[in-house]
Amino acid sequence: MQKAVLNVPTADPKDIRWFYDKYAAMLLGYISGIVQDHRKSEDYLISILTGFTAEFNATEKSQLNIWLELRQYAQSKLALINEKGHSLTPVQVNSNGNLDLLDDLQKQIFCAVYYHGKSISQLAATLGSEADEIRNQLKQSIDKMRRGRGN
Amino acid sequence: MEIKRIIESGLIETYVMGIATEEEVQKVLFLKKEYPEFKDALTNLELDMEVLAQGMAITPPPGTLEKIETEINEIQRRSQVIQKIARPNSKPDNGDDAREEKYIEVEAESNQMRVNKAWKWIFIAVFILGKIFLAAAIYFYLENRQAREQINELKLELKQK
Repeated sequence: MQKAVLNVPTADPKDIRWFYDKYAAMLLGYISGIVQDHRKSEDYLISILTGFTAEFNATEKSQLNIWLELRQYAQSKLALINEKGHSLTPVQVNSNGNLDLLDDLQKQIFCAVYYHGKSISQLAATLGSEADEIRNQLKQSIDKMRRGRGN
Repeated sequence: MEIKRIIESGLIETYVMGIATEEEVQKVLFLKKEYPEFKDALTNLELDMEVLAQGMAITPPPGTLEKIETEINEIQRRSQVIQKIARPNSKPDNGDDAREEKYIEVEAESNQMRVNKAWKWIFIAVFILGKIFLAAAIYFYLENRQAREQINELKLELKQK
């Protein structure tokens, strides 16, 4: 009987180093926002960055930029924690003042989407608002943070 | 303008945050292709999200890169071992078949056998019939033995008379 085994293409060491230098700190900040535990976040950083680097060559060229792709990859890997532990309470995270620019509702919506991948419809149902209102609040929260950084 | 209204609608934010529906994703990809203004807005937001993440970054502790390199090397080593076992005589770079690039063929032999479910009822019927024949055989054996004993008794009585 013939069996097919997935042959995971491997990344060059220079790619790993490049990925690490460019994204490791950003990814650890992002994972910490989800996991809320520094030690666990570091463990997840290793497994996620290893997995992504190993699979990166195999994936078709994405329409997203690398950071957004990496963020979504991390979010999907951490989805179980996301489901078990998540409430709509904004996360405690070192946001460098970014989240302080937002009001409570915007912070709640932004964190639920950014860290936990909650959809507009899920949030609308949970918060008892219209989907358009949630979408609008999300846009406003991102706009505020972009303006806060002078963009 | 219509495209400005779409840019301001929050569609790009939903897409970049990774929560767009399939329909919205297709719309974004179409608009990105058709409208340079939309493409610029999308690229700017993607870059700004990256800058935002840089602002929230936490420097990993020393030794993290080494741990990642060790794990990557382990994956590479295991992958090479699998390739050697699977294709001992073939060149690694021939790759003319797209399927072969993604999969490697491994010989495996199972000690299990697949049987049609209908056989279950046939086996049950054979088992029950076997029990019936066994009971009948025992019954007729005993009947036969009893009849022989009676014949012998009758023969004995006749002789005595």
